[in-house]
Amino acid sequence: MTKDIIQLTDLRKRFGESEIIRGVDLGVKRGERHALIGPNGAGKSTLFHLISGLYKPSSGDIRLNGDSIAGLAPHLITRRGLSRSFQITTIFPRLSVYENLRIAAMARHGRRYALFSLASKATVINRDTDELLELVRLTQARDKFAGDLTYSEQRALEIGMAIGPGADVILLDEPMAGMSREETHYMLNLIRDITQGKTLLVVEHDMEVVFSLCDRISVLVYGEVIASGTPEEIRSNGRVQEAYLGEVPA
Amino acid sequence: MMRIGLLASIVALLLGAPLVLSGHVVGVLTTALIAVLFAMAFNLLSGRAGMLSFGHAAYFAIGGFAVIHAMQAVEKGLLWLPTPLLPLVGGVAGLIGGLCAGYFATLRSGVYFSMVTLALAELLHAIAPNLGSIFGGEVGLTTMRMPWTSFDYGNEVHVYYTVVAWVVLCIGLLYAYNQTLFGRLTVGVREAERRVSFLGYNLHHTKIIVFGVSAMFSGIAGGLLAFTTESINYSILGMGMSASVVLHTFVGGSGVFFGPAVGAFVFALFGSLVSDMTKNWLLYQGILFVGIMMFMGDGLAMLWLRIVNEFKERNWSALKLRALLLPPGLLVAAGVVTLLELTSRILDQQYAAIVSRTKAWPPVSLYGFNWNPTALATWLVPILAIGAGAGLVFLAISRAGREAAPRAALAGEHAR
Repeated sequence: MTKDIIQLTDLRKRFGESEIIRGVDLGVKRGERHALIGPNGAGKSTLFHLISGLYKPSSGDIRLNGDSIAGLAPHLITRRGLSRSFQITTIFPRLSVYENLRIAAMARHGRRYALFSLASKATVINRDTDELLELVRLTQARDKFAGDLTYSEQRALEIGMAIGPGADVILLDEPMAGMSREETHYMLNLIRDITQGKTLLVVEHDMEVVFSLCDRISVLVYGEVIASGTPEEIRSNGRVQEAYLGEVPA
Repeated sequence: MMRIGLLASIVALLLGAPLVLSGHVVGVLTTALIAVLFAMAFNLLSGRAGMLSFGHAAYFAIGGFAVIHAMQAVEKGLLWLPTPLLPLVGGVAGLIGGLCAGYFATLRSGVYFSMVTLALAELLHAIAPNLGSIFGGEVGLTTMRMPWTSFDYGNEVHVYYTVVAWVVLCIGLLYAYNQTLFGRLTVGVREAERRVSFLGYNLHHTKIIVFGVSAMFSGIAGGLLAFTTESINYSILGMGMSASVVLHTFVGGSGVFFGPAVGAFVFALFGSLVSDMTKNWLLYQGILFVGIMMFMGDGLAMLWLRIVNEFKERNWSALKLRALLLPPGLLVAAGVVTLLELTSRILDQQYAAIVSRTKAWPPVSLYGFNWNPTALATWLVPILAIGAGAGLVFLAISRAGREAAPRAALAGEHAR
């Protein structure tokens, strides 16, 4: 049995009086594509923010590769191999696509304070950047401003930036939100390709995407995981039907 | 290629200037160049990293005071440093000051960052007069430049060449900075802070370094000023200096590398030329700033680049419109200047004294003419000039708009 790469133990997050995450236990196995689903306001994004370091947990533990990362700053968590996308695409809009990816590739090589290295002379980084460009299928758009890309291209770029630092765990927050059917289909294939051999944790509302992309699904309702299992198990789970899937016409 | 040619000719002009210009004008050029470097250093932080500092005078001044102290030490024989290298001391002091202040200021972003920088600078401004040994109290500090090899530094030309060398060197270094990996990351900080930290960069440390580098070049600029004037006073720490660098940068355009240089150079020359002609020069500077921000918000350098682009694309209709707008624009400007000058002469205390003594409104002199303040024509002429100019501007824009409308609509469709 493969070891859990992400492990959440009795994780809780309170904002003042209200507890948004109420004792979550969750394990994500190495190399699996794991979906987090649940109705609006269930705490999916909050959970992502906790794992990626944007919020500090009120109590409980988060382990990445067996080491606790609970409460660490985001950049330290990224350096340990966990990276993410945001619900609102977070890229560098007034930089070229290439520059966007290069800043991500620089992080992989730990060139964080390269005050004396000319960007044009950084051959290894530039080669990695070209690879990333190809991976997210944006080679044609290389010199465009990231802000001028189409919405789905921007999402693809963001995913490219998430894997750029060399992370093996990728968190995607609603990667398909606001996309047309064709775009969703394109993106689905892209995500499959890009995250080959990596661990993926994804929040998504499009059930078709969830069921076709993911190996395992966890259902979050009111800050608690009410079920975790394979797509078949989740489909046939009575509590899930009642709490969530029932609302969505299949 | 054309850009290199342009830069080379600017440097050549700067080097040749003292051969044809008077000492006074060389002095004006020297201060203009210092303003240029200060604005470029400021823009590294504000334009490239998107961190708008309202207290950059602090690092400019720290550099200045450090250089004065170093010059005093050299004068007393306590320190050995070739005279032309003195501004380096300002850079080191600016860097240290910037790293310390930057540590606190960069804990916050956006408006809060700006407020912290403002507060830090005002704090220094407030305590400086009490720290006599460092800031020389209210009178300030003075010293003398020591001769160096065949440069005796007795005349402004020697100072000028030293300033030119430092400014060109520093601008070159700032350009190189932008080409480094860290320079690219700096722009990322402006574009999306959150993404930078989620890529694994320590956002706080990154910002402190950018702040420090910007303060270092500001310190060199301040050092050059102290080196030039051989004196410094705590008033340089005031809000005015911090505001003027913001003004220069935005007038020139913070989005273009040389934008701040253009703004600083134009405003420094404008200040020295117009202040010789009228005491209202600060008012005109303000009007100019508001006008530029309203009608060409991305600055003079961007306007220049647009015009060059229009030439390259042979976009004659756009160029024709610009040419058509120029005469009525100048007419409006002439009208406004006439009105303001007449008003300020009449509101003058001396004039008021004459009026109350003689109970009559004597004519005032402007442009070599006598203007009778009680005559309708005196006021009607400038008002008509403004009205006619503005009318022509609107006419030209609306006609150009009607001609370009179908094409613009098509372009819009295409973009979608």
